Amino acid sequence: MDFRPSSAQQLLVSTAREFLKKHCPPERRQQLALDARGFDDALWRRMAELGWQGLLIPGDFGGSDGSLLDVILLVEEMGRAGAPGPFVPSAVMATLTLWMSPEIEQKKRWLPAMAAGERVMGVALAQDGNTLAVDAHGRLHGRVPFVEAAHVADALIVAARVDGAWRPVVLPTDRRGVTCRPQATIGPEKLFEVGCEDVELVVGDVLGPDDARGEALQAGALARTAEMVGAAQKILELAIEHAKTRVQGGRPIGGHQAIQHACADLVRDVDASRGLLYAAAWKASENLPAAVNIAMAKAYASEACLTVARRAHQIFGAIGYCEEHPLHLLHKRILAASLDCGSVAEHQEAIAYAIGLHP
Amino acid sequence: MDFGFSPAEHVFADYVRAFLVERPLDSFALDGMDAGYGSGAHSRAFMKALGERGWISMCWPAAFGGWAKPMFFKLVLFEELALAGAPFGPLAGSWQTADAIIEYGTERLRREVLPAVARGEATFWQGYSEPDAGSDLLALKTEARRDGDHYVIRGHKIWSSHAGIATHGLVFTRTSREARRSRGFSMFVVPNNTPGMDIRPIRSLTGGVYHYEVFLDDVRVPADLMLGPEGEGFQALLNGLDSDRFWGRFYKAPALERVLRRLVDHANTTGASKDVGLRRRFAAMAAEIAALRLLFYRAACLLRDGAPISYETAVAKVYADETGQKLARLGMDVLGPWAPLRADAPDAPLGGDISHAYLTSLGHTIAGGTAEILRTTVAVRGLGLPAEPRTA
Repeated sequence: MDFRPSSAQQLLVSTAREFLKKHCPPERRQQLALDARGFDDALWRRMAELGWQGLLIPGDFGGSDGSLLDVILLVEEMGRAGAPGPFVPSAVMATLTLWMSPEIEQKKRWLPAMAAGERVMGVALAQDGNTLAVDAHGRLHGRVPFVEAAHVADALIVAARVDGAWRPVVLPTDRRGVTCRPQATIGPEKLFEVGCEDVELVVGDVLGPDDARGEALQAGALARTAEMVGAAQKILELAIEHAKTRVQGGRPIGGHQAIQHACADLVRDVDASRGLLYAAAWKASENLPAAVNIAMAKAYASEACLTVARRAHQIFGAIGYCEEHPLHLLHKRILAASLDCGSVAEHQEAIAYAIGLHP
Repeated sequence: MDFGFSPAEHVFADYVRAFLVERPLDSFALDGMDAGYGSGAHSRAFMKALGERGWISMCWPAAFGGWAKPMFFKLVLFEELALAGAPFGPLAGSWQTADAIIEYGTERLRREVLPAVARGEATFWQGYSEPDAGSDLLALKTEARRDGDHYVIRGHKIWSSHAGIATHGLVFTRTSREARRSRGFSMFVVPNNTPGMDIRPIRSLTGGVYHYEVFLDDVRVPADLMLGPEGEGFQALLNGLDSDRFWGRFYKAPALERVLRRLVDHANTTGASKDVGLRRRFAAMAAEIAALRLLFYRAACLLRDGAPISYETAVAKVYADETGQKLARLGMDVLGPWAPLRADAPDAPLGGDISHAYLTSLGHTIAGGTAEILRTTVAVRGLGLPAEPRTA
């Protein structure tokens, strides 16, 4: 047993940390969070130059042949830096769905361009509020809410009902009949409701069987967990720094047991979440059965990392309530990640079933 | 990263499982209460069986009669025994004491005590706490006075687990008065049959006896039963605390997993398993236990690699104890009106183990460093927050 990332993974992580510190400082994150478009084209291109969007894409398709575990470590750093942008939907979920589909032409068309950072994809793979269906004439109708970055995506992979069964479908956003309505949220993520009215589909748009969707949602759940763990780690570091430097009544507030014990609990929540994350990501990367590990990591980290964020608000006091303070964006990021790719309730039900509780 | 076990570790786990099949647990007599930590009851017979297999001394150097197996073999053994609910109560203490004797024990301790540990015959109680020295251990008053080639110990120890049924006490004493508060302490390995010791049971709120208090009335012990350098006992104790917390709680996660499985089976038979709220609590517990296990394995890797430990074992210990309390609470809910029935009640579900676990778990966040002391340790030593000013 070994908890240490490989030396190549350590290099990936340290490069990511330096890069994001330089190209994605807190002021920039604030700016993008408040901006309606909120997408940093230059940052996306630079990330592609480092090979990040291509990590899950094989070399033959212009990618960099990474493992899921590599991606998880990278996304943890993105969460830590509060890096904006649809990396998880585009470079993890859409990429995996495409890669697993038998549609070779779609792979050739999208994967090299995505690896190069020239194309962005969004996903709408969940079923909540999703009414998308393909009719008998092969045309797509309905709506799907909560699609991240649909406004900058060149195409979406949406779950739609085809002959009564869910199928992943490639949907270029410039197709006639596709509309995109912003859904204002409390967080920095840009969400849209995508509407389809009599949208024409062509051969190869329906990506074959549904297995890929489940795989992509699993990988997405891991990546969202990594984001939460990274953001919670950053919150922990900020809270400790504040506890050491904020002086009241003649001594740092971190010299009081009330604050010390709160900080000790933050460490536990972050470390325990990270342990589950790494174990699940390792198993998935080794192609071992990992569904229950992923469910445990996502369900546990959702509760634990939100607890970290809320408790940190208490440690920071009034200053943490300000828009210019970094805490709330990290907190909102955790909140959004906890709700995407399966709620706590869904993952807990998966665990309950796996441990043998009869339904 | 690698979250799997090595082939050798798998093979050893198979040996342990085969042993548990060959020697059914109900064939071992129990001598002392199961205090709920996960290591089961105190059973001399079981310790001897482990000794016969060579598993108590398997990680010791060959010069001391061991097979120099890697440390992870001990974790494999712990995990398999705890998953099976085996009575290996004194094992962690035996290992810890043996390691100290191998590292800095006298010739006499190595010659007389170590082989008995390997055979599973020698087990130990800790004489640390005193009536007025709990969390503030350095306030202890028990003194050992040099008298020729002996020391004479006088004092009063309390909360010593299984002291009445173990063979030796690890008695922590003051051997000199020094300017620095933490200097002048020494540890002795005192055989239970030494004249002058009065070991009295303390009945606990479970109705059973786990703790004892020990009155030491001019107990004469040979000087070479001192464990570690004179006057440096507290440093040795502190250095050992990280691994004590680890070894004293490692088996908690697999033991809780076993309890959870039994509760799942029970909920399936009563139909409680259909309740959505209960399903979610079960799922949360399963994830928590998995997280707990990984916290311990992470600490294990640090200990194995000789990497510095600042807070990891303290976090793991608090989490183990609080998770155990939570599971016991869930268990009481699952069992409903039957929950408080004791082991000796004919209708007691799960043999009364859950009500017993509920009660014993209350002591876990107190014993071996309270949850409060440990959280302060995490904050001050692990995170570098300023220590609270000392009063008096």
